Amino acid sequence: MNMGASTTAPWREASANQTRLAFGQALLAIGERESRAVVLSADTQDLLGIRPWIANWPDRFIEVGIAEQNAIGIASGLATTGLHPYVCAYAPFIAARSMEQIRNDVAYANQRVVIGAAASGISLGVAGGTHHALEDLALMRSMPNMTVIVPADVNEAYHATLATLDIDGPVYLRLGGRTPEAPVTEDSAGFTLGRASRLRPGNDVTVIACGAMVELALKASDALKAEGIDARVLNMHTIKPLDREAILQAAAETSGIVTAEEHRFAGGLGGAVAELLAVERPTPMRMVAMPDEFAVVGPTVRLREKYGMSAEAIVAACKSLVG
Amino acid sequence: MAVGNEVRSACRYQARIMITIGHHDCRLSDDRETGERMNEARDELLKRLENEARLLRRNLWRALRAGGGGHAGGSSSAADMLTALYFHRMRLKPSEPDWPDRDRFVLSKGHANAALGAVLAQAGFIDDALLDRFYHFESPFGMHPDIKVPGVEMCTGALGHGLAIATGMAYGARIQNKSFHTFVMLGDAELHEGSNWEAAMAAAHYRLDNLTAIVDHNKIGQSGRIEELISLDPLADKWRSFGWEVREIDGHDMGQIVDTFDALPLKKTRPTAIVAHTVKGKGVSFAEDTYLWHSNSVDDEVHARALKELGGA
Ligand SMILES: Cc1ncc(C[n+]2csc(CCOP(=O)(O)OP(=O)(O)O)c2C)c(N)n1
Ligand SMILES: [Mg+2]
Repeated sequence: MNMGASTTAPWREASANQTRLAFGQALLAIGERESRAVVLSADTQDLLGIRPWIANWPDRFIEVGIAEQNAIGIASGLATTGLHPYVCAYAPFIAARSMEQIRNDVAYANQRVVIGAAASGISLGVAGGTHHALEDLALMRSMPNMTVIVPADVNEAYHATLATLDIDGPVYLRLGGRTPEAPVTEDSAGFTLGRASRLRPGNDVTVIACGAMVELALKASDALKAEGIDARVLNMHTIKPLDREAILQAAAETSGIVTAEEHRFAGGLGGAVAELLAVERPTPMRMVAMPDEFAVVGPTVRLREKYGMSAEAIVAACKSLVG
Repeated sequence: MAVGNEVRSACRYQARIMITIGHHDCRLSDDRETGERMNEARDELLKRLENEARLLRRNLWRALRAGGGGHAGGSSSAADMLTALYFHRMRLKPSEPDWPDRDRFVLSKGHANAALGAVLAQAGFIDDALLDRFYHFESPFGMHPDIKVPGVEMCTGALGHGLAIATGMAYGARIQNKSFHTFVMLGDAELHEGSNWEAAMAAAHYRLDNLTAIVDHNKIGQSGRIEELISLDPLADKWRSFGWEVREIDGHDMGQIVDTFDALPLKKTRPTAIVAHTVKGKGVSFAEDTYLWHSNSVDDEVHARALKELGGA
């Protein structure tokens, strides 16, 4: 979808460069178009900016309280009656805690339930390990029928949320927290499910990133350019279904692949790419991700740096592949 | 781990100093260990606790300022009961946080960590200076309790975990013939989590009268009033029907708090639920009884306004 001069779109300002709020803004457009859409909150009415929805469509809003498992079960039941539930939740609680409800009641039963999972990764940095969601991609992409999306900025989050109008099955939309995501996609870019977007050309090495790490991948690519290295940047906003063609093409055309994500090494974007390449086309790889430890307390950006999820780390990884 | 050790040794030092020079700290670390009550007149006791609670509120706001904000509401509603636990009811050795016979306290509503940190500092478990490092990079004192900090019994913060953990601690005491009591503090909106009721059933089934759950019933969650989220009523009857002995108290009336704590277990063979009616944000008028102060920013100016009401500088 082409939004044209969408820098003035009303939802943009309301989203304040936070993907979690862009989700709530997109819901307003969905509410106008789709009378079957229903929104559920688990005491998360401000987290995803859904107060306007509650005001507009109080009879299509269900507050379930702080009960994430219940939220997923109720959403599944609603879906069986023909409604399109959107569950608004914290990533750290909805993914791990409700995993079985998601697996059985949503994925296995293949119900049309969209999960808006805000405050993912280490976006709740000062909240500590209980509130960091660094396993959710591994959990969510391990299940059949799931669609897993990680928008890079508000433009993409908005359009990815709208795209759920056409996805007849479960969706996990991974959203950020209060640390703004810098704009990295063109207004006109829209969103094509399962199709990575190439944000920088380049044939020396490829960086495949998702979410907030896309901005850092672009910075890394610019820094490498200054040193004469052309690093292709793919924004892999859809983790599942994975864009196999874009990855295999990058493996064929460049000397190696660096993945970058705000998630543990185990089972995330890097894992997904490695699973494909190991079988189809073994390729030198580096992964920029959260090491196998629980993060300390601290502001998100400093934690990213501490644990090596930085533009510098991407640069170093790229160099080690071309050097 | 290194961080934890550093804090641990710093606080031991602090505790030792306080025990030799402090007045109430002697009580806390000596008499509380043997379980003997000081022969302190009741009005003296209540006055001492109320002063300590006032200091606790000033300290928790101090931490919130250091962090630029945080959960003022639920920290403040819990403050009086935390004070009575740490300065009257619980048997603890601040100089030996891992003392196997200590009473246990689990802050299931872990987002009230500013209050827990403040009471641990006042009791001598941790260095007072740590309160000024709330939320700071690599600080052990973040938004939620970290088991690496002396005096903290469990990493909590994801709601709906503490009651099951406390049930395990109480059961552990029984199996090992230990006389310690386990306390767990729950938020009221936290009770939406079904896991609480699984644990409630188990604790009653196993007749764990060495377990006390305190519900900080301030009637507000994160998004608004609990009545408008998912109603808990009739809350005391829910606990009763699960086999718990229940007492409803005013969670800001030190006399009622102390009398109830002193009467534990309220009934042999039953776990106790104290449903404490409280005010979210208690003590600072602009933060009282509103979901907007569940969590909010605290800058120097807001801090100064709060402190003025709390009798601070
Ligand atoms: C499992 C889980 N879901 C959601 C949250 C986010 N959260 C933190 S505090 C809170 C509201 C808690 O309200 P209540 O239990 O009443 O605590 P209090 O009023 O004492 O602060 C919510 C929804 C969480 N920490 N854990
Ligand atoms: Mg409450």
